[in-house]
Amino acid sequence: MIAQLLLTALLTLVLVYAWSAHRTVPIIGLLASGAALAGLYFVWVQEHATALAALVGIGRGSDLVVYIWVVISLLIVLNLHLKLRLQLDMITRLARAVAIDRANESRREAGAPRRRRPVPLNRKAEALPTELQAKK
Amino acid sequence: MTGRIRNPWVVVAAYNEAPVVRAVVSGIRRAGYAVVVVDDGSGDRTGDIAQLAGAVVIRHPINLGQGAALQTGIDYALAQRADALVTFDADGQHCPAAIAALLAAIEQPGIDFALGSRFLTGATANLPMSRRILLSAALWFTRASTGLPVTDTHNGLRAMTARGARAISLRQNRMAHASELLHQIAQSRLRFVEVPVNIEYSAYSLGKGQRISDALTILIDLFARRLYR
Repeated sequence: MIAQLLLTALLTLVLVYAWSAHRTVPIIGLLASGAALAGLYFVWVQEHATALAALVGIGRGSDLVVYIWVVISLLIVLNLHLKLRLQLDMITRLARAVAIDRANESRREAGAPRRRRPVPLNRKAEALPTELQAKK
Repeated sequence: MTGRIRNPWVVVAAYNEAPVVRAVVSGIRRAGYAVVVVDDGSGDRTGDIAQLAGAVVIRHPINLGQGAALQTGIDYALAQRADALVTFDADGQHCPAAIAALLAAIEQPGIDFALGSRFLTGATANLPMSRRILLSAALWFTRASTGLPVTDTHNGLRAMTARGARAISLRQNRMAHASELLHQIAQSRLRFVEVPVNIEYSAYSLGKGQRISDALTILIDLFARRLYR
C-alpha cells in the first residue's frame, strides 16, 4: 500500500510535468501523460498489469510498472534536450541582435562627420590639452 | 544590375576563413556588389581582413553556426533595404560571376528564389566520389521530405528576392539550414528556379566542407526541430 501511494504521488507529479511540457513540446506532453496515466492505472489495477505483462512477455506486473517508469524518465530526458535547443534559439536571437547593433553603431561612427562641441556664448573656449602643456 | 533589382547584397557567413576571405570579398566587390560578411565568432582575423577588403562586417560574439550567420546577414541586408540577396560561401569555391546569373534568374516575374545547382551542367571541378554519394543521399531525402524537384540540396550559392528572404526564417543554426531553407521554400509556395553554377573544390574547401558523419547530425537536427515550437 505504501509503495502504491508513493508511486501515485510520483506519477501525479509526472502528469503535472507533462501538462507544463505540453505547451512547448506537445509530443512530449502527450507521451508523458499517456505513460503516467497507464502507470497510475496499473499501480491500482495490478491484475491487469500482470495480465498485460504476461501478454508481452515481461513476467510480473510490477516489472511492467518499472519499465513504464523508465520510459517516462527517457521522455523527460528528451524534453530537457529540447529545452536546451530552445535556449540555444534564444541565445542565437540575442547574439544576432547584439551583432547587428554593434555593426550599425560602428557604421554610424565611421560615417558621421566629427563635430566640435558648440561653445556656450558666456564661456571661454576650453584650452586644448597641448596649449595647457605649453603654459606649464 | 539592370532591371528591377537596384540594391542587391551578397551575404557571406565566415568562420576562421582568414586565408581566403580577402580574395572572396575582393572578387564580390570587383563584380560591383555590396557584401556583408558575418564573422561567426572566428578565432583568427577573418572579420578584420574582410573589412579591409571592403565588406560590412557583423561579428557574432560566439560561434553559432553557418545557418545562424546566414540569417544574421539576411536580417542585416533587409534592414539596408536590399531588394535581392545572394548567399555565397566564404571558402572560395564559388565564382563571383555566378552572382549575375542568379540575380538575372530572380528578375523573371514571379520567381523569388534562384538556387545554384552544381549538377545541372556537370560543370563542377574536382568533386570527390564520397562527396558525390553524400550529396546524392541528401538529394533523395530532400526530394522525399519537401516534394521539391531540386537537383542540388546543399549548395550555398543562391539568390532570393526581398519577399523571398522575408518568407524564410532559419532556425537551424548548423548545417541543417540548407534543408530547412528548402522546406520553407516549399511551405511558402513561392516559385524557384535552379541555375547551373560551377563549384571549384580545392584542398582548402574540401577540408572545410561537410563529412559523411555530419549527415547524421543534420538528420537529428531536422527531426528534433519538428518536435518543438
